[in-house]
Amino acid sequence: MRGSALSNSSKRALRLLLPVVGALAVTPAAAEGVMDTLQMQGFVSQGYVVTNRNNFFGPSSDSGGSLEYTEVGVNASLRPRSDVLIAAQVLSRRAGGDGSDAKPKLDHGVVDYQLPTSPHRTIGIQAGRFKNPFGFYNQTRDVAFTRPSILLPQSIYFDRTRSIALAADGLSVYGAERMGRGEIHVQAGAGWPQVDDDVEEALGLDQAPGSLKAKPSAIGQVRYEHNGGRIIAALSAANVRLRYDSRTGGPGNGEIKFQPLIFSLQYNAEKWSLTGEYALRRFKSERFDVPMLNRDDTGESGYIQYSRRILSDWQWFVRYDVLHADRSDRSGRAFEDETGLPAHTRFAKDLTVGLQWSFHPQVLLAAEYHRVDGTGWLPRRDNPDVADTERRWNMLLLQTSLRF
Amino acid sequence: MPQLWLAVFLLLLLPMPSATAETTDDSVALIAHPNVRAVSLHPNSARAIFAMRQRTWPDGQAANVFVLPDDDPLHARFSKELLNVFPHQLKMAWDRAVFSGTGQAPGRVSTQSEMLERVATTPGAIGYVEKGGTDARVRIIELQ
Repeated sequence: MRGSALSNSSKRALRLLLPVVGALAVTPAAAEGVMDTLQMQGFVSQGYVVTNRNNFFGPSSDSGGSLEYTEVGVNASLRPRSDVLIAAQVLSRRAGGDGSDAKPKLDHGVVDYQLPTSPHRTIGIQAGRFKNPFGFYNQTRDVAFTRPSILLPQSIYFDRTRSIALAADGLSVYGAERMGRGEIHVQAGAGWPQVDDDVEEALGLDQAPGSLKAKPSAIGQVRYEHNGGRIIAALSAANVRLRYDSRTGGPGNGEIKFQPLIFSLQYNAEKWSLTGEYALRRFKSERFDVPMLNRDDTGESGYIQYSRRILSDWQWFVRYDVLHADRSDRSGRAFEDETGLPAHTRFAKDLTVGLQWSFHPQVLLAAEYHRVDGTGWLPRRDNPDVADTERRWNMLLLQTSLRF
Repeated sequence: MPQLWLAVFLLLLLPMPSATAETTDDSVALIAHPNVRAVSLHPNSARAIFAMRQRTWPDGQAANVFVLPDDDPLHARFSKELLNVFPHQLKMAWDRAVFSGTGQAPGRVSTQSEMLERVATTPGAIGYVEKGGTDARVRIIELQ
């Protein structure tokens, strides 16, 4: 996959998109007006990570810390007709691992058609690679300017298996119904998720001969916004399906299902916001020849966060974030007895305080401090030997972001 | 843990003082390009259009949105009093639209005279100025 300019899944997304773009081709005369609607935007973020123990996004526990946290994105959008939007974004991201991870990928690429609207209703459909509506932040999780903090709460937006959560190649339908002082937004999508090496690593299949493939999957979200978004409540659910094709000497063919359910709630005042999300994450793998690979666990995570805007360009927040890899074994002791691996790899409790300063609309500086008990969301690639990880660790992050 | 979340949820449902809700402000005027056929707009449509979630006027004509800077006092009044949303929520809605491929960013102007100029010269344009600051080149849109 690393050899070609675009990943196979990116090619699949383009194959889906091109005929639609072709069908929308406009005459030269109309093209001039269309080009007036062209917008391009982008961002660059550079992070600096220091930990006292364990590594996060590169060799962060070394004396010099880690600079291996970089996000760069460029997007373009166009309205060829009043009811059609074409939008795409290319993203390069490195978060530890090796430099080749920064290879640009198609983050999203959609043709979006909106049906004739009424004051009370909007309905639209997106075809191509669409961002998954998963909790409050997933759709723009790699864009610092849309995040309340440098790291999103890792219990829900963890990095370990981020590729399958990002986007899907297929169709998504959305609608908004506005009544009285409330609005209901619904989005439902079906398509193939992306599967990168991170998922194989997380499942312990990265060294095995064979490969993981995406199967048709589904995702949906219902969101209610009250009184112009003073209160926002959302429920997101997904059924992500993967298939493991084993080769000789491998663990046998297997099926994997990931079924997260997220409840999200936010209260917005003029100067502060209170946000909470709670997730139940069912993970089921079956039919592998190696019994240890066949699991059926439900993970549980949640956080609560208070953020406050001060002056016109400062914001601070405090957050408590908890993850349990298996809600029937919250302490991880049963896991430790069974596998001999540390119990603390099965949970993480993270108390974070942070500050953001946007002294110019195109610049964002941020700093935050994490006090963590457990390594439940610590990326394995940064800490290959889990037996070597420490239960209690602290982390300081600094980040500079620019947009253009 | 579920009990905790339930408690938080119930807490949020308690009646709360609403700083802005019912007062309709008459010091900000919604304006549009003269080719716009609508003479009035439902507040729901206005909010969806300015949040960049709805891309057309109710009759299907493409809407071109113009806004003043986030820290402009008139922008703050317009958001809170006409749209009933805080400026930080609008900004978040625009960023989410742009970076998730669900919408475009609004056109940015830095002064009210530039606002008048852009709205007057861009077909389908919608914007806002201080009431009394309009001129004959633009059409005033009433909120229903």
